[in-house]
Amino acid sequence: MADTSKKLTFWGTFMNGLVTENPTFTLMLGMCPTLGVTTAAMNGVSMGLATTFVLVFSNLFISLLRNIIPDKVRIPSYIVIIASFVTMIDLMMQAYLPDLRAVLGTYIQLIVVNCIIFARAESFAAKNPPALSVADGLGMGLGFTISITLLSMVRELFGSGSVFGYTVMPASYQPMAIMNMVPGGFITLGLMMIVINAIKKMAAGRGRREEGLA
Amino acid sequence: MQQMQKKLIIASSPHIRDSVTTRRIMQEVCLALAPAGIAGIVYFGVDALKLILISVCTCVLTEYLYQRLMNQKVTAGDWSAVVTGLLIAYNVPASAPWWIPVVGGVFAILLVKQLFGGIGSNFANPALTARAVLFISWGSIMGSYPVTRYMEDAVSSATPLALLQQDPSQVSVWTLLIGNHGGVLGETCAIALILGGVYLIIRGIADWRIPVSFICTAFVCFLLQGGFDLALKEVLAGGLLLGAFFMATDYVTTPTSVPGRFIMGAGCGLLLFLIRAFANYPEGCSFAILFMNVMTPMIDRFTMPKYFGEVKKHG
Amino acid sequence: MSTFLTILIGQILVNNYVMCQFFGICPFLGVSKKFDTALGMGLAVTFVITVASFFTWLVQNFLLVPLSLEYLQTLAFILVIAVLVQVVEMALKKLSPTLYQALGVYLPLITTNCVVLAVAINNITDGYNLLESTFSGCCAALGFTLSLLLLAGIRERMELSNMPKWMQGFPGALIMAGMMAIAFMGFGGLI
Repeated sequence: MADTSKKLTFWGTFMNGLVTENPTFTLMLGMCPTLGVTTAAMNGVSMGLATTFVLVFSNLFISLLRNIIPDKVRIPSYIVIIASFVTMIDLMMQAYLPDLRAVLGTYIQLIVVNCIIFARAESFAAKNPPALSVADGLGMGLGFTISITLLSMVRELFGSGSVFGYTVMPASYQPMAIMNMVPGGFITLGLMMIVINAIKKMAAGRGRREEGLA
Repeated sequence: MQQMQKKLIIASSPHIRDSVTTRRIMQEVCLALAPAGIAGIVYFGVDALKLILISVCTCVLTEYLYQRLMNQKVTAGDWSAVVTGLLIAYNVPASAPWWIPVVGGVFAILLVKQLFGGIGSNFANPALTARAVLFISWGSIMGSYPVTRYMEDAVSSATPLALLQQDPSQVSVWTLLIGNHGGVLGETCAIALILGGVYLIIRGIADWRIPVSFICTAFVCFLLQGGFDLALKEVLAGGLLLGAFFMATDYVTTPTSVPGRFIMGAGCGLLLFLIRAFANYPEGCSFAILFMNVMTPMIDRFTMPKYFGEVKKHG
Repeated sequence: MSTFLTILIGQILVNNYVMCQFFGICPFLGVSKKFDTALGMGLAVTFVITVASFFTWLVQNFLLVPLSLEYLQTLAFILVIAVLVQVVEMALKKLSPTLYQALGVYLPLITTNCVVLAVAINNITDGYNLLESTFSGCCAALGFTLSLLLLAGIRERMELSNMPKWMQGFPGALIMAGMMAIAFMGFGGLI
């Protein structure tokens, strides 16, 4: 893979998905599971990892088959590949983690229409070799996992007074129930985006200043 | 940070962007709200006064700090934050802990008002949204109503709304009018609210169309459900009057056209009836008005008069 | 008759797929900048969901259940939806070029609109018959369209206000959506 492209390296592609083009905060993709399951930190982690699994394997297979699949039927072909992996992880969770599967519910089945997976298949895996596509899948998947874990930690902290199930708020804290409901999800994500945009802007400003000095 | 350049502002009259008039209008609203607050303090004692003060201070302080931090022109002295603070306090039961109005005030001023550009720019009524948030978040605190100081039996401390839907004869019209019953701080005394509301309408500050169509629609709905007695008492009980006169008449969150205002009022009345009669929450006033706030841009869109000289486009 | 009323109110207000259940957020945020495009998207989605509810019910009850292949539900449904979208696109192109021009852009996006799949799956979970499934699909889509139009109306209005720069775009839309969701919570328990 070293000589396939000068610009794209395994590590660079990975970091691109993780930070630069973070699917949640930059690309605004995959919003439904992002908001739907993030009431507890544990749910965020498991949903993120399930999505990462599907994303890595679908990217790998689509990349392997990219020269075989005719252009006209590529969308149905992608769907079949993605849906197979979604069905696999769904059945695996039903067998080994039935409680978690019950909490995450339809959202596991709906990974199939998660636009992150579709977008990566179409815009990356269909054009790049397998190793890079796996890196992209890993980076995007983990970027997604980290973002929704962060969001779910904030929501769990205020909505239940705990993080990963451990109580951290003082006993007198009265949980803010709205954080566990739909409005809380929307508003928390909106506020987090404001904060992250501000951090990015500051980082970019500092980068520019340093360049100017050098 | 540079002062944000204001975009072209399109609004029909009344134009309330002039800070001098905003201030005068808001002072008048405060005056109109005073009787209900006094009634609340009389009925619920010093707790009520404490909550009102905390709420007003939180709102004004939040507005001031935000505008200082963002290097904006400080308009915290225009009394609009005072009105928001009063309305939040009026929607809280007197037994609530001190942090309830604090959370409500910060939410209302910061998230609902300032993030969308400050006074005149918000699409939802700040006090109303804050009340809904508090109600959803801490239902047990917001839904437990203390006994007034002049009530003989503790049994009737249940809110009249709950009793009315079982049997309207349990509550007398007189009790509802003078406000000697359980409820949130500022909603109990119907006479005080009507007094304030009529004052606002006479002074031309509130448009009569919204409260009148709101109350009439709700009245007719309850009339069809359970007769005249129920309808009259439902209108007097709960947050309907407070909402109809003081929260549904907010300039910036209601339609600007005349038919739009009737639609707004009627929609509020209908939704209030549906929520009170059939839904989980005993009091639907805040949700009904909030939903119509959300509908407002759409109502405006379909009821705005056509500009003179505008030619219909041909596809 | 009462079942249908329950479905109507339930799908549009009480269990609105966007405002109360977090489905279809991507198009909800993505295509709500302008009222007219939101309307176009809403109509296209309504059409596809209604037809998809009809066909996925048939597939479930005449194909998957008799062959005991229920575990392939996700795969089968998403294929039905993808094919359907493709067919609708081609049919529109031939039959009604005007409608195609109006809706054409949105059609490919609908495949990845999770409301379509979620409605199809929920119809089966709720045990609706064919007529109820189709009706419920139609109502769910109308609920989606309603929330899309409401947000578009608010966003268009907010364009004219002096919202801080860092609120414009998605952060602002998300917070607006949050407040809309608060308003929808009032309907809880209506049915």
